[in-house]
This record gives sequence, structure tokens and C-alpha cells, in this order.
Amino acid sequence: MTKIIINGTEVETREGIPVLQAALEMGLNVPHYCYHPGLSVVASCRLCLMEMKMPHPKTGEMGWAPKLMPSCQTPVRDGMEVRFDSEAVKRNQRNCMEFFLLNHPLDCPVCDQAGECLLQDYSYQFGDSTSRMVDPKYVNPKKDLGPKTLLYANRCVMCTRCVRFADEVAGTGELCVTNRGSKAEIDVFPGKALDNPLQGNVVDICPVGCLLDKDFLFKQRVWHLHSGDSICPGCATGCAVRVDQNENVIYRLKPRYNPGVNDWWMCDEGRFGWKYAQDATRLNRVITRRGEAVESLDWAGLPQTVRFRFAEVTAEHGDASIAIVLSPFMACEEAWLVATALRKIAPNAALVLGPVPLREQDEVFPKGATNGDAKFTISKERCPNRRGIERIIGALGGPTLTFAEFSENGGKGEIKGAWISGGYPEKWVDKELAKAADKIEFLVVHDLFASELCAPAEIVIPACPFTERAGSFMNIAGKLQPFEWAVKPADGCKRDGQFLQELAEITGIYQPESVRKLMAKQMPEFAEVAAPPKMPEHQH
Amino acid sequence: MVRTADPTNLSTYEPILLRHVGVPEARTLEGYRARGGYKAAEKALTQMSADDVIDEVKRANLRGRGGAGFPAGVKWSFLPKDRTVTYLCVNADESEPPTFSNRVLMENDPHALIEGTIIAGYATRATTAYIYMRGEFWEQFHIVQKAIDEAYAAGILGKDIFGSGYGLNVYIHRGGGAYVCGEETGLIESIEGKRGWPRIKPPFPAIEGLFRKPTVVNNVETLCNVPHIIERGADWFLGIGPEGSSGPKLFCISGPVKKPGCYEWAMDISLRELIEDPRFGGGMRDGKKVKAVFPGGISMGVVTGDELDMKMNFTDPAKFGLLGLGTAAAVVVDDSIDIRTVIRNVARFFSHESCGQCTQCREGTSWMFKMTDRLAGNLGRREDLDLLAEVSGNMGMMPGMSICGLSDGAAFAIKTVIKKFRSELEECIARENPEAVKIALEVVN
Amino acid sequence: MSWKVIDRNAAPDKAEAPVLTDALVEKIRVFLPRYETKRAALLPALHVVQDHFGYVSWQAMQELAELLEINASDVFDVVTFYTYFWTHPRGEKVVTVCRSTACAFMGADSVLDECKKVLGIGEHETTADGKFSLQTEECLATCDHAPCLYVNERCHKHVKPEDVRRIIEDPNNAKLDIERSTLFDGVKGA
Repeated sequence: MTKIIINGTEVETREGIPVLQAALEMGLNVPHYCYHPGLSVVASCRLCLMEMKMPHPKTGEMGWAPKLMPSCQTPVRDGMEVRFDSEAVKRNQRNCMEFFLLNHPLDCPVCDQAGECLLQDYSYQFGDSTSRMVDPKYVNPKKDLGPKTLLYANRCVMCTRCVRFADEVAGTGELCVTNRGSKAEIDVFPGKALDNPLQGNVVDICPVGCLLDKDFLFKQRVWHLHSGDSICPGCATGCAVRVDQNENVIYRLKPRYNPGVNDWWMCDEGRFGWKYAQDATRLNRVITRRGEAVESLDWAGLPQTVRFRFAEVTAEHGDASIAIVLSPFMACEEAWLVATALRKIAPNAALVLGPVPLREQDEVFPKGATNGDAKFTISKERCPNRRGIERIIGALGGPTLTFAEFSENGGKGEIKGAWISGGYPEKWVDKELAKAADKIEFLVVHDLFASELCAPAEIVIPACPFTERAGSFMNIAGKLQPFEWAVKPADGCKRDGQFLQELAEITGIYQPESVRKLMAKQMPEFAEVAAPPKMPEHQH
Repeated sequence: MVRTADPTNLSTYEPILLRHVGVPEARTLEGYRARGGYKAAEKALTQMSADDVIDEVKRANLRGRGGAGFPAGVKWSFLPKDRTVTYLCVNADESEPPTFSNRVLMENDPHALIEGTIIAGYATRATTAYIYMRGEFWEQFHIVQKAIDEAYAAGILGKDIFGSGYGLNVYIHRGGGAYVCGEETGLIESIEGKRGWPRIKPPFPAIEGLFRKPTVVNNVETLCNVPHIIERGADWFLGIGPEGSSGPKLFCISGPVKKPGCYEWAMDISLRELIEDPRFGGGMRDGKKVKAVFPGGISMGVVTGDELDMKMNFTDPAKFGLLGLGTAAAVVVDDSIDIRTVIRNVARFFSHESCGQCTQCREGTSWMFKMTDRLAGNLGRREDLDLLAEVSGNMGMMPGMSICGLSDGAAFAIKTVIKKFRSELEECIARENPEAVKIALEVVN
Repeated sequence: MSWKVIDRNAAPDKAEAPVLTDALVEKIRVFLPRYETKRAALLPALHVVQDHFGYVSWQAMQELAELLEINASDVFDVVTFYTYFWTHPRGEKVVTVCRSTACAFMGADSVLDECKKVLGIGEHETTADGKFSLQTEECLATCDHAPCLYVNERCHKHVKPEDVRRIIEDPNNAKLDIERSTLFDGVKGA
């Protein structure tokens, strides 16, 4: 057990980690810019300096060393004593904040970062209220660094986090520092723009308003944003994300710390790939078709109608003619609710895993790394919950079909009643499925967008995207991760879990934890589905 | 022949390091050997073990001549015992104003540098040595490169030198105009083909240096001392100059003196002797008076015309509020020069050369330049002097604010000028037109 | 976008043929065996390129990056860190006035002013005929000869303002009578 004393308080920590990390983990607000736990230590911002007890060179007596030490670069050793609350430390923090702001334009009113800016925070917490420099400020040019990122150089604090990210995590090395001294700037080589699949992270790790996300630029003041903790459904990696919205309109996605899964990062496809969730062409009312006539259905009577029709078809053709297609975009809870609801009516209904979109291979970072030393992986499996659905299908038992068999049998007219869940962000219905759908007597489609399935379907139910749902996904590594909804369902839609719970005749408001309790009887791992640990409050 | 320098009798000292100045034939291998060259290297490689060499240099207490004064032998002994590859870097970046002693050595005695490099390489078990030479040393590059070529041709470099089985390759690596590359880890980064941003320590270069291998970095003048220590022994070396500052030393003197140049003596002369003695600076030109002197390169700080009794050794400068002996290169400021232009010049240098890594140095040096620039333009304020003193007090490696010592130099240069010339600066400010200052500052803010 | 920005998406104009000729590449390759990494040969390579072209162009930076197997951004980074390297064309002869302590105290300012007058250009500018560029540098370690004025690689010592015109007009002002190593040929025409 390693114990050290920080500001007079003994804390338990881990040998060898930076003292700064230990201090942040104990909840101390130690200002820092260049240190990031996912990047190499450069100890250049000199803001996290501390005092340390060392033996006197002559007498050997322990005492506070006259020299301040960078806490990010000093590893924890059992028994050491440091402090961040001395006058010398505070004076350095105050001086640093004055230095950082010397040439800063103080243009917070037009800066996207305002409100979540560590220059603002630290200046307020550790700095002075005025600058003593009366001379003209240096002005550096703004740069368009690539398709997604802008550089507003005057706001830069030269922490080089972005450069290290491009070198060490993305492995693409587009970013560099040019010139030197107070003329130093972040830059890329002209024509070799910042355009790697992880580049959005540089905006996240920029502690100030220097690197800007073009997609978010001038869209919202960040203090208006409210966030929901979600899981990115873009691939099977299962990055923990934060969905930032205001008045039910989503503005951006940010990664959440999730050790061992996505750590601090996420890919651009996920970061910018949520736009379909607010697409105006989404299905937004329940429709039913009888012959040529199309009419709207009320959500209130829908569960009963669906159950009734499935019961009718089962009575007519037997329960072996019923199939339930569960999409790998569904949450575990949602899939379990559909399956149990319909199996109650047709106990031998076949469970089918919907199509799993695949790419040729995983994309591994840093570029050129092997899977073993990868710092980030974009999975080739382009859906969030293939493993979760498989687990549920396996646990529920009974007849199953592969998706190809489902299409084939459907095409032969062997399937009389089917529930098909979609939820794919892109067009997903292939010819075989469309052909099969035509032959299915009673088809319920639960999907985000209109497709070839809508015409043959008797009932079309609008689904919600991940931002409006809650539940859990099992990622490619088998880790169950919960996610919350960030916005209310779009007009005309109903939260999937709520509707499916009603379909399963469970009363009350849909709460994933309650459903998981029920599921845990068959699948014990659902008893404990924990969100990733939070980063220390003052870590960034 | 060579005796201990006696400060009372300047005629008894014979130059050691500069013995080949004005002897053009010593630049050639033949000429150098004819004058006893490479005997020390041969002795070290054939009669001594590597540890013997280290012990001898350690015993001589050869303190680094590059500025920090760290004992070279001790530096060598920090190398890990179980190392396989070791690199030796020779610091010939010489960019501290107004230092030019390494240039004089390389121009006049290139083989002495090579010989010192071979011995140091042997002692440290290095098989490759890089001479990091500043890019603007054009002539000097060709002179040293020619000497290296000659040495290779004669089998003095390359494999199996003097039949000892020891081999060494020496390459010149040319820099590109960056003062910070004179810092040893900045130099290492620069050899690796990167920007010369000094590395965080630990690990120190002796453990993890060039290409992450154990590395020793020594100054040209330091290495030029090594052959003499090997040849004549540590006792001879210790007999020159005062205790703790032993051995021959090069002193540069420049500015408005009659004989600017590089001179050699033991470290027992005073700054006054360096300026006024006919054997050295020869006194001031045109009857000018000494107003100020930067006696150890500008980084060490300034002394006034009243402080010329300072001894040019490793201990005395601190008594005069200086950072150290530095490069022992003195530049004289005469009484016709406005102290404000001096402080501006010095501040501009550090602002231009700060590498930009650490906040306090990057921002502090440029801020100090802005302030001194305004000061020199008759737009200073009295509070600027306090501010300059405060800003320069908030930077440097010694209080922990930076990775390397560049900003200690910047701090001492500014701090000592403010402290020692405060009344003159205040007089200058008092002569300004306060209305003009007010208007100028209003335009900015 | 309402901001004026430097667009880094656009590639600089590409030369039709590589600017690093086989001969230059051969010159650079000489340095490769000296170091553990290819990247370490970057500074010598930059010297070779600047000696030949007078500056390091975007195109040369890209080709160097390919040759040394590093990112073009790394070359850009290094070129701009070291003030010795030019990133835009310079005159056939570069007049450098040292501006640090010793030279400054010995009258470098008036030498610089005279240079500006004689050449009709300011600091870091090039004459219209492309013959001269003028620059100042921090200490060049020739303080004993202060004030110093360099024309390319040649140091003119103890320069007085009245000497400037003569030095600049002298056709041999950059001539350096030394035995040159073949590693670095020096500026063309030196």
C-alpha cells in the first residue's frame, strides 16, 4: 500500500503514478494544461508545480526543497510529502495565469470555449483580475487546419496536447509546432490537413478555445447545454459518450472517460455521425394498413392491437410460423421485452438476429499499431449490440433462425407473422428481405426510416434513435454498458422501451434497471450493469 | 616549461590551450604531431584503462568550460556500468554572446579537439562522437572537417586507433541558429533531427540521451584540456590557478577595448586585469570608461565599472550577484552607451532564443523584451523596473519554473541590470515626457 | 466563414519534377549511416538543400520527408525552429549584420542602417534584382571582430558604416579562400 501526504493529508495511492494524478484523484483542484493521462508527459506548462520534502544535501534532514517541482513529472513514492497550498506554489500559479493571458485576446464573448474554458476557470480560481502588460499583444493568424477543425492561434497556451495526440494516439502526426518562443504556433503542413479518423479529440483535449470544431462553431453557448450519458451506437467498440442538447435539439457528442473501452477518446464517425437522429424524414406516426387504406393508429391502443393480431395469426397458422427479428441496434432490455412479449403469445416463435453491418477490418490506432498495443480501435462491426442480442436469444432458448434463413423461409411463404426491428441509421433492407416481407401475412415493422418493408407491413411503428432511448449495449468485448436518453422522443414517437414494456404488459414507466432485474433471472450479468467510473472532478 | 600562473608576474605564463594560435602549420596533422600532438591520446589508449582516464580527469577536477562548471570526470562516471552503446557529443554550438573561445580553438587547433574527443570517447567507451557545431561556423566547419579527414586517413580515427583495439567515429553535426541547442538535451534533440526543445530530466543524458542511449555532452574547451591532463597529470593541472578553479582557462574580451580577443590564463585574474592589462584587453579605447561588463556571457549577469575586482573563477562571480563564471567571456559597455539599449539588446536576445516550451520563459522573455523596448523608446514607466525585476524573478530552472537553464540566464541578465543600474534607468525615465508616455499607452490599451 | 484564415487544406503548388535531384539525394544519403535513425539526417539534409537552392521550399520539405520517412509536418516544424533556414527564396548573397551585445555596442546599428541605405531594402527583405537579402542575427561568435558583417559565409570584420558600400559593391565580397569539404559545398557561387 502506497501512502503519501498531500497538503498535510495522508492519501492512499498507487506507486509510480504522477503526483498530480494522485492529487486530482483525491479531489484537489491542481491547475494544469499540458498533462493528460492518455498522453506522454512534457512538463512544459509549469502550472502544476508543487513543493516537496527532500533530505537536506548536507544534514540529511527532511525539509521543503527550495525549488518547485512539476507534479506531473514526479512519480509517487511511498512516504513522500508534497504540498500545493504554499505561498510559493500559489504565487507560481498566479504568475503563470498572467503569462498565459499576456497575448490572449480576451475574446470570450465570441469564443465557443467560453463556459468550459480552463483559461477562464484557472484565471478566476488562481489568477489575478488584471494584466500588468501595457504593451501591444502579439497576433497570430487563424488557420483552417482541415475539414473539421479551425485553429485560433491567439488563444493557444502551447500545451502541445494536440500535437502529442496526433503523434501518440492517432499515429498520423499531422500536427506540429512551428517557429519558437512566443512566436511558436500549432500548424500542419499545407495540403496535409488534420484529417484523421480521430481528429475531433484534439478539440476535446484543447484546454482553451484554440482548436475549434467547425461542426459546432457558433452553434450554442455551452452553458445552455444539458447532457445525457450515452453509448455511441456507431460500432461495436461501445464508446461512452455525452450527448449535449438544448431544448431537445442535439448539438454535439463528446467522449466520456471509459477506461479499457474508449479511454478518453472517440472517433469522428461517431462524433459527427449522430445527425440521422434529428433527420426530418424519420418515421413519426404509427400507421396501419388494411388493403389499400392507410390510417394512423393511436399509441394507446397499439400494444393491444399488436398482441391481438399476433394471437390471431398464431391461432390460424401455429406458433412455428411466427418470427421475431431483433436488431443489433436495439438495447438488450428492448430486445428482451419484444421477445418475451411475443413469445407469450407464440411460445415457439423463432428469434432472429437482424443483419450485422460489417466492414473488412477493425481500424486500429495509433496507425500501424498491432491490436495488442492499440490505444483505440474502431470496430469493423458497425452496430452496438450484436453480442447483447445473441446473448438474449441464447438465454431465451427455443427456435432460432439466422437472418438469411428468415429471408429464405419468408420468401417461400413459410412465415406468416413477423416482427421486424430496424433502427439502422442507413438503408438496410436487402432484396431478399423485401421479397420475404411481401409474402408475410402479418408484418410489424419497428424502424427509424421508411423502407421497402413499409408497404407490405400491416403496422409500421416509428422507432427512436439512441439519443432518445435508454438501456444497455454489450460491446465487442462482452462488456455491458448502460446508456441514458438525452432528449425526448421526437413528436409522434414514443420511447422504444416504454412502448415495448407496454407490449409485454408490464405497467409503469420504463426504467432499464427494473427490466434488467427481470432479465437477471435468466441472465445474472444483468443484475449489475455499471456506468464507467467518473474522471476525477478536476481532471480534464 | 609551463608553470603555475603567478598573478604578480604575468610574464611567466605560457599558453597551453592557445599554444597553436598563430601557428598555421599546427592545423595540419603533420604539424600538430610534430608539436607533440596525439601523444596524450596514444598514451591514454595504449597505457591506460578507461577507468584510469576517468580517475585522472576526476582527480584534476576539470570543471566544464561550457558554463555550468560541472566536473567532467564526474559526469563521465555517471554512465551506467552495463551499457552497450555510448554516445559522446561535443558541444560546439557556442552561441552565448559574446563568447568565441571555442571558435578560436577550432580555427587554430582542430586536432587538439579531435585528440580530446578521442580520449573522452575512450574513457566513456563511446564509439561515435558528434561534434555539434553551430550552423554559422562555416569556416570552422571546413577546418575541423579537414582535420577529421586527415585523422581518418592516418588511422587516428576509425577502427583500432593506435593499435589499441578501440575505435571511434567522429562526425560534425551542424546546427541551425538556435541558442537553446547549446543546452545538452536541446543539443541531443537537435542531433536526432528534431526541434531543439530541451528534455525533461530525469532521465539524465548519462542514462538516456542521444537515441535514448547513455550520452555524455562536453564543451570544446573542456575536451581540449583533456589531452594535457593525460600527458602531464592531474597534479600539474591542479597546480594551475586557485583551488576549485584549476587549470588553464580561455577568457574572451570584447567591446570597446584596445585588444578584443581570446586570452588564456589561470583562473586567478580579475576582470580588471582582463580589460586593462596590456597582455589582454589592453585598456579602453579612445579614453572611454567602463560602465558595465557582462563578464561571463550575458546570461551570467552584469557588473558595474566599480566591480572590476571580481576574480574570474568559479566562485567569485556569485559574490557579485552573478549566476556564475559562465563562459568567461566579457563584453564591456562603455559610458557612451545608454543602459536602456543594453537591457533591450539583452532582452531581445532571450526573447528571440527562448524555445517556447515552458510558459514562464516563453511569455516572460517576450514580455521583458516588450518592456525594455518601450523603455529604450523613451516610453518607460518607473513601475516597469519593478515589473521587470518581478518577471525576471519568476522564471528559471533554479526556482523550478523551467526545464532548462535558458531562462535563468535571461533572468540574471535582466535582474542584475535593473538592480545595479536602477538609478540611471530612473533618471532616464524622469527625463521622459510623461504626456507622451500616457498617450502611447492609451493607444495600446 | 467570417474569419480570415490561412487555408491549410490546399497543397502548395507542386513542382512538375522533384526538386531534389539524384545528385542532391546522393549528397544527403552520405549522412544516413552516421545516425541510428533516418530522421537524424534531417539537419544535414536541410543544409544541403539550402546550400543548393538558397532556401527550403515546401516541395523540398515534402521530398525530404519522404526520403527520411517522416511526416512532412516534422520537417516543417524543424525548418521553422531553426532561424538559419529560409522558407522563401532569398537573394544570391545574404548580408547578415550581427546585432548582439559586442557588435551592438561597437556600432552595429549604424552599419545596419547603412546596409539598408545602400541596398535600398529593410531587414529580412530582398532587393528587386534578387542579388541581395539583408538580415540580422543574434551573436555569431565573432565578437572580437565587432562589429561584424557577413556576406554569405564570409565575415567582414570591424566594419564601419563608411565601409559598407565598398564591401557590398566588391564582387568578391563573399569569396572564402578555404579548402572546402565536399560534405557541404556552401552557397552556390560562394
